Amino acid sequence: MSLQLTGVGYRYAGATAAALLDIDLLLGPGEVVGVAGASESGKTTLCLVAAGLAPRTVGGQIRGTILLDGEDVDAWPMHRLSARIGIGFQNPATQLSQVAGTVFEEVAFGPMNLGVPRNEVVSHTWAALETLRIENLAERDPFRLSGGQQQLVAMAGLLAMRPEHLVLDEPTAQLDPEGTRLVGDAIARLAAEGASILITEQKTDLLAAIAARVIVLDGGRIARAGTADDVLADPGLAELGVAPPAMHRLRRAAADAGVAPGTLGSLDG
Amino acid sequence: MVIRWLAALAAFAVVAFLGIGVFGDFSEAAAGNTWALIAAVGLAVGFITYAVVEYLQTRALRSISQQFDTRTIVLMPLAIAINIILGAAVANALKIPIYLDSIGTILVGALAGPIPGALTGFLANILWQYVVPPPFQGSVAAPFAIVAAVIGLMAGLFSRYGWLRPRPDRRTDQLVGGAVVTVGVIAVVAYLGFLGYQEIIGPAGIGVESDNIAFVILGWLALALVAGTIVGLLVILFVRRDLTAAYVVVGGLLTGIVAALISAPISANLFGGVTGAGTDFLVAAFRQAGADIGAATLGQGLISDPIDKITTFFVVYLILSAMARRTKARFPQGEKLIDGEDAVADDSGEWRGAPA
Amino acid sequence: MAGGAGLTSAPPLDRGIPDFLERPGPSPVHRLNPLTKATLATVTAVAAVALGGLVGPVVLVLVAVILPAAAAGVLGRLIRTSLLLALPIAVSAFLVNLFFFPDGRTVLVEVGPITATAEGFGFALEILARILAISGAVTLFYLTTRPAALVIDLERRGVSPRVGFVANASVQTVPAMVERAAQITAAQRARGLDTEGSVWRRIRGIVPIVGPVILGSIAEVEERTMALEARGFTRPGRRTLLWTPSDTTFERILRWGLVAALVGLIAVRVTGVLR
Repeated sequence: MSLQLTGVGYRYAGATAAALLDIDLLLGPGEVVGVAGASESGKTTLCLVAAGLAPRTVGGQIRGTILLDGEDVDAWPMHRLSARIGIGFQNPATQLSQVAGTVFEEVAFGPMNLGVPRNEVVSHTWAALETLRIENLAERDPFRLSGGQQQLVAMAGLLAMRPEHLVLDEPTAQLDPEGTRLVGDAIARLAAEGASILITEQKTDLLAAIAARVIVLDGGRIARAGTADDVLADPGLAELGVAPPAMHRLRRAAADAGVAPGTLGSLDG
Repeated sequence: MVIRWLAALAAFAVVAFLGIGVFGDFSEAAAGNTWALIAAVGLAVGFITYAVVEYLQTRALRSISQQFDTRTIVLMPLAIAINIILGAAVANALKIPIYLDSIGTILVGALAGPIPGALTGFLANILWQYVVPPPFQGSVAAPFAIVAAVIGLMAGLFSRYGWLRPRPDRRTDQLVGGAVVTVGVIAVVAYLGFLGYQEIIGPAGIGVESDNIAFVILGWLALALVAGTIVGLLVILFVRRDLTAAYVVVGGLLTGIVAALISAPISANLFGGVTGAGTDFLVAAFRQAGADIGAATLGQGLISDPIDKITTFFVVYLILSAMARRTKARFPQGEKLIDGEDAVADDSGEWRGAPA
Repeated sequence: MAGGAGLTSAPPLDRGIPDFLERPGPSPVHRLNPLTKATLATVTAVAAVALGGLVGPVVLVLVAVILPAAAAGVLGRLIRTSLLLALPIAVSAFLVNLFFFPDGRTVLVEVGPITATAEGFGFALEILARILAISGAVTLFYLTTRPAALVIDLERRGVSPRVGFVANASVQTVPAMVERAAQITAAQRARGLDTEGSVWRRIRGIVPIVGPVILGSIAEVEERTMALEARGFTRPGRRTLLWTPSDTTFERILRWGLVAALVGLIAVRVTGVLR
């Protein structure tokens, strides 16, 4: 149950410059890998490539290899990949199928498309709703939910397809503070329960809380990679357009002011 | 490929001869209507023949199915909604003889191809009548579904042959021909429209009336579009020096004439020529002048439809111009809508595209 | 598919399919198969046209529209909706034919240069009956059927899931788009947009409303495409349906009977036996 990218590059159709180059990345079972970087650094492109949408859906060209459990996925069609890797996007509204009158049908849309037997569609849908603690929304109209709730419904729609890996592209970027808290908590819970997640975020606080390893992209290449603690404490982070998490900023400010690190230990969580 | 086209042509010819043989008498005033109906049925049979031959040859319908990628499927509901909302607003609030209910149809035809265009028009009219909530429901839309389908089909074919590709910065001598065509067609259509206006609407004046605020707003938009089309086309032609203005006008004119020929017999036989929209004023004028129902609806159509379809093609061309090049290129027929060639990315080395 | 437990942590539940998905309709008419109701509406509408005259459509409306509507308990709403629907075209049909009927000989009233004739009045009544029959039949279908139910039923019968998607999504997009336009209108008004005043000022005020609605929706096509393909939309073959509307042999016979009756009626009319 691993997703491995080796020497992966990607360029959009009609573009001469590559949007991604020389990406090496391993996402093991139960692992959470965070991706940071300035806007236009290639975070979204990396998500599309990892989930197989690029080049299958958006066109363009790819190089390098992507292995799923050691198997090369190069010739796989999108619907085969989508059963193994789920991808969620920033905008909750455009992820709704537009054909479901209730949240339950919305979440069931993916497994229905995959042709999963009916009773399994039902049980997978209930399980996904339960995992994200939104069973109480099952009967509601997805159009009439808040942004945060819609984002949870979209994530439940991915979970109901029973993927082995989840790719989340800035899932809280377009949410209000309440929605950000709601979705952030849910992702943290998924991570704690052992889900395998590749997540991009501009807000590094969430990454610091849930990611074991973090990579930082710059101009489509990996600029930093390592454990979350090491990478997020890197003083060069700001130059790459990434704001360090609040606790690292605080600790650095404290160090500058001459306070001993040990006295702030409890902040490390 | 050749065999399919020959089979389609043969089928069309058979239908045409049969039609002429059975309905032999063309001396009546309504003969033009009969011709149009026979031609429409012949076209439909021709297309079905093409599809059947392709299926027999290849056991698949790739020429049709490749026009329906996910992107097209996502665009179609949007196009249908645009058709219904604008169409309902114009029919309800605007007392001028146009429809503006095929912008979405022509947009899909241009981006995705003739078959998705036809299906968009057809479905839009069926849904408009059966399942759209009031106040947008249309009471007379479904019988005209065949007309909407033909409009989408024609838009798809025009686009397939590159008619809607931008042709900016042409030399003056190249523009002269385009200018003659554009100005000539606009002048004739505008003159006909002006006659209609003077005859009937003149005393009452053009206005927008409805209790529904959305309809009032959209009604004014429709007026603005018709008025802006003439100016807009001339700006495109003479300021951007874009020769495509001429193609837009000719495409709209041809589509309008065909739409009028097919819809007139439907409107005349089903509803006595009225549909509850601004077009009824024109029908009334023709009737007063002594024309029978068939001739009156045909006359109304031949005035309304070219104005309507030229406006619509112009709006679609504007929408296409506002879309990002990369976005357009991803649609099945998008390559036909962008000027120049993309820098051909080399397939050599390790770079490779999506799996087939 | 290969793969194991997935990412959901909850234990497998024995919770079944939620009952709100296929809640039965309140009346026997509501509970009819959607295709049966669609067939009834279409056959009624076409038959009204094929019959022509005044008596035929009126009897048809009584039998195929008023009676089932009363049984379904939607008669009041049906009359209101279909009258509202038919009003503009009815007024038009009446005026045009009353005053501009070329073969009119018997003068009823004269208003300036235009003349109302008895022949025109008769023809206008016929058109009116026809229009009311059509709008009544369709409104009955609309009031007793969820569009989604018809789409699911058609998909079960082999219609492509993609056509079903387009139909379903269209029905949901119309109100969503209107709502979006209303939001933008409110926002533009708050910024001092003019939707009143002279013609020119109104026209200028509209462009910033409709432009964003149409172009914004088109800009979302790419995101929606990716989201759909990420959810297995491109998989060929049939998908699993959560529920399907019930159908009975009786209804199947009824549908074919209706279609056969319509074909018979048209044949009789074309050959001129009944006139």
